[in-house]
Order: sequence, then C-alpha cells, then structure tokens
Amino acid sequence: MKDQRVYFEKADFQSALPYQLLVAIFGLLLVFLEVGLAQIPLFYGAAPYLSLIFIYYLRLHHPDVMPVFTVFVIGMVADLLLSNILGGRATAMILLAYVIESRQVKLEQVEFVQLWVDFAVSCAAVLLFQLIFFSLINLTLPTFGPFFFQTGVTLILFPIGFLMIYTAHRLLQKMKLLA
Amino acid sequence: MRGSDKGKIRHRRIAHGILILVSFSLMFVGKADIAAFNKMRMGSNDFLAPVIDVVSAPIRGIQTMVEGMRTVASLRAENIRLQGENELLKRWRRRAEILESENRQLRSITGVVTSENRTPVTARAVTAPGGGFAHTVLVAHGREIGIQRGNPVVTADGLVGMVVDVGNSYSRVLLISDFNSRIPVILASSSWPALTVGKNGSLLDLQFLPNEAEPVIGDLVLTSGHGGVLPNGIPVGRIAHIDGEEILVRPAVDFRHLGYVSILVGGLDGIDNDNLDLGKFYTPLPEDGGSRLLEGVNAAGQRQ
Repeated sequence: MKDQRVYFEKADFQSALPYQLLVAIFGLLLVFLEVGLAQIPLFYGAAPYLSLIFIYYLRLHHPDVMPVFTVFVIGMVADLLLSNILGGRATAMILLAYVIESRQVKLEQVEFVQLWVDFAVSCAAVLLFQLIFFSLINLTLPTFGPFFFQTGVTLILFPIGFLMIYTAHRLLQKMKLLA
Repeated sequence: MRGSDKGKIRHRRIAHGILILVSFSLMFVGKADIAAFNKMRMGSNDFLAPVIDVVSAPIRGIQTMVEGMRTVASLRAENIRLQGENELLKRWRRRAEILESENRQLRSITGVVTSENRTPVTARAVTAPGGGFAHTVLVAHGREIGIQRGNPVVTADGLVGMVVDVGNSYSRVLLISDFNSRIPVILASSSWPALTVGKNGSLLDLQFLPNEAEPVIGDLVLTSGHGGVLPNGIPVGRIAHIDGEEILVRPAVDFRHLGYVSILVGGLDGIDNDNLDLGKFYTPLPEDGGSRLLEGVNAAGQRQ
C-alpha cells in the first residue's frame, strides 16, 4: 500500500494560496513603487499605473492567482497612500477584473497590438470611472493634463511590463518543472 | 456540474457582490469626513509609510545621483551664478535690516502685538502626489512631537500647505495646490484680499479679488492670516496668468522638489481645528459711498 502522505503533499502543492499570496505581495510592492516614483519630478502628480498592468496581465492569463479580493486590497492600498477617494480605484479595478474575465477567451487569442489597444481602453476606463466619481462628489473637474500624462506613460510602459511579467512567469514555470 | 460546485460559485458571487458594495460605499463614507474613519486611515498610513520609505530609497538614490551628475556638469556656470546671487542677497539683507528696524518702530507706535508662538519643526516628505485626484504628502513627524491638525507647513520659499491628518509618527499635509485647499490671501503690492483655490494642477485659482484691484503678472500673493490658522505674510505664489476674470497664481514652492519641510507647531489656541475650511475666513471688503474700504491687515492678521 502506498504511503498516504504522498497524496496530501501533492494536494498541498497544488493549492493556489501560496501563489495568490505571492502575487498579492508583488502587487502591493508595485503600488509602493508607484508612490515612490511620484517623488521623481517627471512623475509628480501623475505616476504610472504599474499595478494596473500587473492586474491586467494576471486577470487575463492567470485569474486563479489573482482573485478579486487581491484586486480590492491593491486598489484600497493605492487609494489610502495616494489619498484618493477611498474605494474609487478599488471599485474601478474590481469592475475591470470582471470585464477582463468575461472577455478572457477572446483576448487570449488576439495579437499583442490589439491587446495593447484593449489595455489603453481599460486604463482610460479606470481613470474615467474615478474622474466621474471625483467630479460627482466634489462637484468640480480637476485639471486634465496629469491624467493624459499618466495614461500615456502607463501605455508606454505596458509592453515593457508585459514582457517582464511574461518572462518572470516563464522562469517560474521552468523552476517548477526542475523542482 | 455538482451541487457543491454550484454552491461554491454562488458563495463566491455573493462575496464578490459584498466586496463591490463595500468599496463603492467607502467612496461616500470617506467623503463624509468621519473622525473614526480618518483615524483608521491615518493609522494605516502610519503602518504603510515606513514600507514606502524603504521601497523609495533606491528611487531617491537614483534621483540624487542624476542631480549630482547634472550639478557637476554645470559647476563652473553655477559658481558664477551663485557669486552674483550672493552679492544680491547681501544687498537685500542690508535692505531687510533697515526695513525690520522701521517695522519695529511702526509697531511700537501702533501697539500691534505679533504672534510668534509657532515653533518650526523640520520633517522629511515621505511621499509625493502620485495622481491627479489629490495633492497631499506624508511627512515623517506626527502626534508624538506635538503636531496638530491645522499646523502650517512651509519651506524657505513659501507656503506648502497645512496638516490635515495626524498619526503617531506621520502626518498628512494638504498642499495648497489641492482642490480642497482654500487660502485667504492678500496681494502684497496693494493689500487687496482674495482666496487661492487649488486645481489639482500646477497653478492656483485666485478668486473673489475685488473688481477695483488691478493685479499684474508677477504680483506677490501672501497669506492674509485671517482666521488665525495660518500666520500672515507667508509667500503663497506670484500671479502668472490673467485672462479676464481668470487669475492664476504659480505657487512659490516647487512641489516637484519637496524634500524637507518645516511644520510650524503651536499657535492654534482657541482655534477649532476640526473644521479647517479656511475659505470661510474670506469676507468681502465693506463698501462706503460706492467704493470699497481697503482695510489692510495688521501684523497679527487682524483687520484694522
């Protein structure tokens, strides 16, 4: 008879929880990096949405390691640190996570350029959602310049971020195989 | 699909629904400015700020390195410029000493008492505004050294903003460029009162300036001191753009290079610092026979 521990070990290994935790920590680090980048005069008031690139990639290719709760936590921490309307970015990101999930099959088959365009629309939608609520709550419109800059820089960084996450993902897979 | 799977999916959907509801309602609760909510917010900032400090260290290092290289490249030109500036400052210092003496004599005649009960505390800016929705910064000092809501924050160049949330070791400063910031000011050249309002951008709106005032580009804008929360005479900025009713002020402080700031602690006795809407301290000048009375503001920030 085979030792029962083998089955339990396998079951533990297949749990997504450690990966989810790792992804959550990395996502939070990206938010901290965003806040840190804002200290560079170039990114003053318009730091790129690094965490959005991360969420977009993982919700598209590995939604199992990026649950909605992680998206909520990342959004809330960003709102807290950037002193945004609390819950604004979190809500926008959760809604985006659902939109990506609903279009996952289609998006996984498209060319990178099409994916880039889709990300541009997603990024603009997240900002627009926050902008609408900001305007409704404060009954005014802020200066638009920083938003255009922020979206532009995020879009420029998207291919680099995408490639970096993809490479890290492949590396992890190889390590997993070797182990 | 098995019954247990269906149940799991249903539970997950309910959990997600609750999550959306929570984050959605937080947007409105946050705006309500509830004390317990603010306390929780500042508590989490106290917890997260040291992590940002660590993560930002390499970024700050790179920035310092780049600035250092730039400085080395222009060292000679910088030296000549500084020598010229030094000469100019010496002349201004002599002029300031004469004016200070004159000011002292005038104060002794009018009997004005200046409020000098604020102690400057130097603090490092840990964060910078990262988005267009809020212009605030976290500074590395809090309740433990006596910082209170409403304490003004300045640099050598002028007014940075005001402390709006205080944690144990960190405080949040609302910059004058934030949309929620309203500063009662006067034009230095003519003493006409007005209000600067942030636009979450690089310039401030100058509002409620009486029609009789004739502002010109380059006019210095100073805090008026009305309400007593901010001391009077701190440079806020200079008029940078005039287009009919729209007057824009460029802040005296360059917020993109905010490394260290001074928090002016104290001087808030008798002031309700739970309500820091400084906009209410602006009142239009009274009229007399069709023309406004330009009252002026004394050294204590009171109208004469």
